[in-house]
Amino acid sequence: MAALTEMVVHDSARHPPGKASAGRSAMARQESLAAYLFLSPALLFFGVFLVLPFLFALVLAVSDWSGFDLGTIRWAGLDNFADVLKPDGAFVKPILVNTLLFAFGSVALATAGSLLVASCIDRLRFQGFWRVLYFLPVVATVVAIGNIWKMMYQPAGLINGLLNKLGVNSVGFLSDPHLALPAVTVVHAWASIGGAVLILIAGLKAIDGTYYEAAEVDGANSWQMFWQITLPLLRPSLLFVLITQFIGGLQSFALIIVMTTDGGPVNATNVAAFEMYQQAFKFGAWGTASAMAMVLFVVIFLITLLQLWIARRKGEETS
Amino acid sequence: MRARRRSRFPWFSYLVVIAGGVAMVMPFLDMVMSSFKGAGEYGVLPYQLLPNSFDLANYRAAFDQLDLLRLFRNSVIVTVAVTVSVLVTSSMAGYALAKLRFRGRAIIFRFILATMMLPPFLLLIPDFLIMLNWPLVGGNDVLGRGGDGGLTTSIVSLILPFAVSGFGIFLMRQFMVSLPDEMLEAARIDGANQWQTWRLIVLPQTRPVAITLGLITFIGMWNEYIWTLLISSSNPDLMTLPVGIQLLQSFLDPDRTMPIVMAGLVISTLPVLAIFLVFQKYYVRGVVLSGLK
Repeated sequence: MAALTEMVVHDSARHPPGKASAGRSAMARQESLAAYLFLSPALLFFGVFLVLPFLFALVLAVSDWSGFDLGTIRWAGLDNFADVLKPDGAFVKPILVNTLLFAFGSVALATAGSLLVASCIDRLRFQGFWRVLYFLPVVATVVAIGNIWKMMYQPAGLINGLLNKLGVNSVGFLSDPHLALPAVTVVHAWASIGGAVLILIAGLKAIDGTYYEAAEVDGANSWQMFWQITLPLLRPSLLFVLITQFIGGLQSFALIIVMTTDGGPVNATNVAAFEMYQQAFKFGAWGTASAMAMVLFVVIFLITLLQLWIARRKGEETS
Repeated sequence: MRARRRSRFPWFSYLVVIAGGVAMVMPFLDMVMSSFKGAGEYGVLPYQLLPNSFDLANYRAAFDQLDLLRLFRNSVIVTVAVTVSVLVTSSMAGYALAKLRFRGRAIIFRFILATMMLPPFLLLIPDFLIMLNWPLVGGNDVLGRGGDGGLTTSIVSLILPFAVSGFGIFLMRQFMVSLPDEMLEAARIDGANQWQTWRLIVLPQTRPVAITLGLITFIGMWNEYIWTLLISSSNPDLMTLPVGIQLLQSFLDPDRTMPIVMAGLVISTLPVLAIFLVFQKYYVRGVVLSGLK
């Protein structure tokens, strides 16, 4: 995002203010009026559906309020946060821990998988076909993905069918508290590989082929080329994939609703955004839920900063 | 081309990509096959991928018991409305930010970038409460009719929160910056006002990026789940395909719930899959555009 903002600033510098002459000021005024008219739908929207709700969310997080009558709203200070973060509550452990495991697990699987697949596709013919194949889950609704995998995980489903063929007894993937979280994590990774593959292939294409030619002349094998050339030069794309997938993984809960209905068995698959959703819309605990949302927001923010920081330090080491 | 340079056949790459490809396609194959399975065929051991016959009974049941046509209609209304709205508002705002000079442009652009960083879950609760208390439609007591549920009883509530996209504005703006200024200058000299310049000169040029943005928006909205689930769990009339198929499962024939669900999912996936396959080049470009830079 920092690079993005930088680019933007350079772009706007491309239009220096025109030579100020008396006749032009009326035109400039008209141009600025037109600009604001063009922007008005967007600005109005962001005011009502972004700024206002964001402030409202901040207020709710420090309020004690349930039900729908705004007259009964009370200042609660940091009580909601104390309540949410208390050590014997369920939010920190297992829910926040689950959130991190779910995000880490799916990002690790999806990134490793997409890196492998992208660098393999890059060597094949019919790349367009392979790309589309891996992208299919991105086009499907989460309801389709969730239900299909729920079906495949069933004792008489496809996966257990394969296990049975190998002589292994059926496993209750979604009913075993130890297996349920890994099971949904795998599905989330499976569904997000396609997007990462696209971005990584584009990143691979941008690497200058002469590096590989030079390395080949020097007698490097494919393994060395991958570690010494591909990986360092792919870093910007890889970082983008990591950051966006992490942000996505930390807040994603649609798949978990579809596959487990309530984050069960017994909170085994419950994640922070889902708990927020349930607190708010099942129990009407707006304050508690909003405090949870803020905690998750801060966690996402910190992890993103951490990733950027690590990436920058790594960058200084290599360059 | 690096591929040509390598003399050996890339057997390892083929192995990886094909094995992975099978893992990507198998679940969808299982969905299609299960959608044909009868009452005694599904959920029994040993597992069989293929159904005994390709009977359409589950598809008929999906139309009857899930009221698929109504879900389909809602999905189309919401998706088309949001897509049109995002295209229009993004190209308008993008034009102003790319080509017009005015005070506050840099700040507004930065604000739009910042909107893309706000995670949607954070706005879920306040957005819902805002919809519930929307004035003049029964949300509050301004001009009477308070407490009717505000906008949450109307399909408008499924459209409004998605009507403008920060990403869309960003995408349009980036594209329009590269349009030659001379072209716009010429239109102005010919007497076109800003609106006409946007409508007649700029819009036709933005076709490729408009297709990309339209496609991303369309597919995203067709599959939207959380917000629609929230709004329509109290108003079943507003259910779209994904939400309806998920929430109406308990009303299905218990002997073959999953096969009927799979039939519904096949039907709901087909239109968006067809659109994706036809325009996939544009979609791929959009994902890449958002990823590089």
